[in-house]
Amino acid sequence: MKRRRFLKAGGLSVVALAATALSTGASRAAVNQPSLRYLRPPGALPEEDFLNRCIHCGQCGEACPNRCINYFELENGLASIDTPYIIPREKACILCMKCGDVCPTGAIQKVEYELEDILDKVDMGRAVVDKQLCLSWQGKSCGVCYRACKLPDVAIRVGYMEQPHVLENCIGCGLCERSCIQIPQAIKILPRKSA
Amino acid sequence: MTSKVATPFFLWKHLNKLRWVSLTLVFTMLLFLPYAHLYQTYEAAHAYDLLADSEKQIYDTMETLTSFLVDDVEEDLDAIKGNTWSGTFFGLQLSDPLAAVGQIFAGKTFYLPFLLTALIPVLFTLVFGRFFCGWICPATFIYELNTNVAAGLRRAGLKTGNRRFDRRVKYLVLAAGLLLSAISGSVLVAGVYPPAIVGREIYYAVALGGFGAGSIFFVGTLLFDLLVARRGFCRYLCPGGALYSLLGHFRLFRIQRIVENCNDCAKCNAICEFGLDPLRDGFGQECNNCTACIAICPTDALTFKVQIRDQPDRGPGHLGKQYQREQTQADEKHREAA
Repeated sequence: MKRRRFLKAGGLSVVALAATALSTGASRAAVNQPSLRYLRPPGALPEEDFLNRCIHCGQCGEACPNRCINYFELENGLASIDTPYIIPREKACILCMKCGDVCPTGAIQKVEYELEDILDKVDMGRAVVDKQLCLSWQGKSCGVCYRACKLPDVAIRVGYMEQPHVLENCIGCGLCERSCIQIPQAIKILPRKSA
Repeated sequence: MTSKVATPFFLWKHLNKLRWVSLTLVFTMLLFLPYAHLYQTYEAAHAYDLLADSEKQIYDTMETLTSFLVDDVEEDLDAIKGNTWSGTFFGLQLSDPLAAVGQIFAGKTFYLPFLLTALIPVLFTLVFGRFFCGWICPATFIYELNTNVAAGLRRAGLKTGNRRFDRRVKYLVLAAGLLLSAISGSVLVAGVYPPAIVGREIYYAVALGGFGAGSIFFVGTLLFDLLVARRGFCRYLCPGGALYSLLGHFRLFRIQRIVENCNDCAKCNAICEFGLDPLRDGFGQECNNCTACIAICPTDALTFKVQIRDQPDRGPGHLGKQYQREQTQADEKHREAA
């Protein structure tokens, strides 16, 4: 009788497992949906590999001197629970690369605090300017995003009336989005596409 | 009547106190680190005057607490980061074995630099068994206090749960957690493993302004322990405990009974948080070497031994009534035969 009960409990838990697994599969398809625009920390592996590697330990957030790293609960699906994310408009990454140093699993790679290495390994997304909203493009010289950028003339340059042009090398840290004085912001990071 | 054959080394009796010191230290550390992190961020911002009053309070307190230890707050306080699930300790990265195993299942790859961080805990577990559960686990700290709460409730005349289940269920939970991690490709065992939850949730509460979903789960386990089964989660459900038990199957250091000193008082069985049977040599792989039974034993009948297997059940203790009755009966029979 004891054994039968044991097996029954086992069977039930397998069914429960299958159900959860199915629902996680469904929720993973929704990664980076427009309603939830988030970035992974700088140096993070492509989404799939990142989730494989991350053990949800929270050290990246604890290392971040800018407190821009936050953690998901269930809003991005079960697979993303307790994984780090950055909402650039709330607080953007300052590219200090400390989170990669502290990450034990390599889910966030170690990146040297040097231009070459950062451009090589960091891909959080890319900034896009909405010219309808941008003050400079509407004739009122602004240039705040250019001055906020940690990589001026590498990731972004300004032209006539300080109109911003995002360059190929933009890695999507989000400092421009954070600093944009328009509401809603005229420059936004489009997160990198998930693998 | 009979003199004691062997008395255990006198320090073993006091290990339980040392264990509480260890548990308290770990827990205090987990409380301290998020505040240290906040302090570092305030320092990095170079804007003390712009802090809110509550933030200034944190800054000042942390400054008094740490000023004699560190010169450069931003750099030096990085020495200890993380929690018992995975942390950095003066340059040495340590991780829970379950984190390593969980990641192997989630990624289906062996990422050696990370697996090596679990090496030291694994080696210690091979020697000392499930010691993590009794000596370090921050959830144990709360669970054991919860046991005391249950005892208080019973004294007040309320009913608390003391049901028993099959201990093997936790191996099923471990298998299920790993399977789920493999299917989802994310280390989901971390979500049902109390020490990982406690470390994380304290950080969330202090630094990110609120408890997360994991705390609901953790409160659930506390209620389960209180209302259904004493220490039920650790005994029957914890996936990490299951892994530690498996690793500690052939542990070197074991608590064993000195049958000649035992008087069958059964206090050891009553105190054992994991519901084991020290009274009849029933330790097994589940014992976490917490030494509570050694501390409570009135006749010094429990001690540490270096051997890789438990002694078999050697029956009633020699100082107990049952053994002495049997002895006299045997003597009488012997005399009659003669």
